[in-house]
Amino acid sequence: MKTLLYLLFALYLCSVAGYLLRLVWNRPWLARLALGLVMSGVALQTGLLGWRWWQAGYLPVTNLFSTLFFFSWALALIYLYFELRYKIGATGLFVMLLNLVLLGGALPREAQISPLIPSLDTPLFTLHILFSFTGYAFFAMAFSIGVLYLVQSRLQTRHLPDKLLLRRINEESIFLGFGLFTLCMIAGSYWAYVAWGYWFSWNIKSVWSCLVWIFYAGMCHAKFVRRWQGGVYAWLSIAGFAVVLFTYLGIGLLLESNHPLE
Amino acid sequence: MPPTTDMTLPQRLWSWGCSLKLAIYVASLATLLIMGGSLTMHKHPQLFGPMDDMLMADWLAGAWQQAPQRVWWIPASALCLVIFAINTLCCLIDWLLKIGSRWRKTGEYLIHTGFILLVIAYGWNSFAGFRSGPHRLFPGERLELRPMPGYAIQLEEFTAELSDTGRPLDMINRLSLWRDEAPIKEREVRINQPLTHGGLVVLATSFGRSLTGFTFHLPGRGLLDLAPGSRLELDDGGSLTVLALLPNVRRTSADQVQPIGDQLGNPALQLRLQRADGSSWQGWYLLREPPPRELRAVNLHLRPMEPRFRDYSLLTINRDPGSGLAAAGALCMTFGVLLAFVSFYAKRARGDRPEV
Repeated sequence: MKTLLYLLFALYLCSVAGYLLRLVWNRPWLARLALGLVMSGVALQTGLLGWRWWQAGYLPVTNLFSTLFFFSWALALIYLYFELRYKIGATGLFVMLLNLVLLGGALPREAQISPLIPSLDTPLFTLHILFSFTGYAFFAMAFSIGVLYLVQSRLQTRHLPDKLLLRRINEESIFLGFGLFTLCMIAGSYWAYVAWGYWFSWNIKSVWSCLVWIFYAGMCHAKFVRRWQGGVYAWLSIAGFAVVLFTYLGIGLLLESNHPLE
Repeated sequence: MPPTTDMTLPQRLWSWGCSLKLAIYVASLATLLIMGGSLTMHKHPQLFGPMDDMLMADWLAGAWQQAPQRVWWIPASALCLVIFAINTLCCLIDWLLKIGSRWRKTGEYLIHTGFILLVIAYGWNSFAGFRSGPHRLFPGERLELRPMPGYAIQLEEFTAELSDTGRPLDMINRLSLWRDEAPIKEREVRINQPLTHGGLVVLATSFGRSLTGFTFHLPGRGLLDLAPGSRLELDDGGSLTVLALLPNVRRTSADQVQPIGDQLGNPALQLRLQRADGSSWQGWYLLREPPPRELRAVNLHLRPMEPRFRDYSLLTINRDPGSGLAAAGALCMTFGVLLAFVSFYAKRARGDRPEV
């Protein structure tokens, strides 16, 4: 397992190098190579995830290793979606760099699958996790695009997609992420109701998850404010991802909650 | 449409109610208040810890008296969210009035509807309903639901499912709900599978074992089980009655027995010996010590062999009268999201830049 994980890391690392070289040395085959490496990485990661799921008998996303691994997989998959749909090319450099950080955080941790706590043994858990991390991955994508939008505003380089396309992808990421995160909240609330007898908990994790939802609900409206389109929206995407990171990692690692990360 | 000077007051109010800026401002203010407040929660677990165990109104009333400076952000952010919900409602009504030309936004407005229903449901449940438990019930026992006169819960059977290593896997409770002395619902309640009935929700929270008696060896009679209420007839016409059983006690300096916990530690039986001559003795037999002199004198050399336990279930019983409304809100949101996704890609397929 560890060997395959290092191979996966190497594939993504090479793709980042490919995108970087493409920026310096303008050869189209480098972009194709980098994309091929990302696709190979996603295929390998999908296989690994499927294998772990089959081994465990449940979606193994219960600790820090497995959540980082799943987050990284979802982000890579979402990047592929945008790349294949919009041909965003060099944008991959920043997205895959973020993906490397996620996967790099998972690598030193124990990959062992532990027995499932009985209360997690429900399809609601699988739905909650799937929607949560795909939502997070779209927010991560929006963050990356937001940063690139600001870079492009300053550099006006032909190596990056134009600002209009970046803005459009940013808005699409926020919209899809918000929709998926809404489904995550619904699955989580229903699960809380059948497990605890109330559908909203004042546990700090639940409170911050609501904040993430309200923040991105606000963002879905903020794009109609003409002055905020583009630059302000990009900054909001960055701020939103900071809230997501605190909700996911900050609370899980630093504070006591009902969603501990070990 | 932003308010203008030529508008009448109701028009201006309506315009403010539907204002996008208002939505953004109150949502931002609520976000900032909750962000700051939630960090206070972490620092004061004693104050905020029981929030989920009580109705919000009850908790807030108590917490406000204790430390208003630490909880003021909750009513303030609730106010923001209520304004946000009213703003959402105004937008929804505005959309409904123009649905003929704006039906493609049905998905987005179903999400709005869901949000309004959830805010109303939470507000309703903050003042009505109840939260209680955990309640300890032995199989066969019935619990009257005081906040719901006439209703009772009866635990028919209970089985704790354990793995080979003793790890709890499930808690299987066969429960029946009674109203006016007649059963109205029966269900097997397990982890993640509660009994629900009109806002009432009964959940398996945990379980435990309670010491009910002991098996003793009595020379000449073999093994016998003694528990509170047991009576042993003696050959000479006397009798021995078990009055009480305590799982863990200590002997005080005044030679009294004092209970020190519910876990099995130093168990003791309170006994009454009725002798054949009419005299009697009452006292404690601490099972880790030799039998009392009075028992030995009548050849009652009782030797404890093993404890006898009985499983009990711990149940949480809550009532959330707004749960149906919340479920309707959740359904609206789910369909809204799915519809909004379909609508988004349909617009993209037509080459129309979607304004979602």
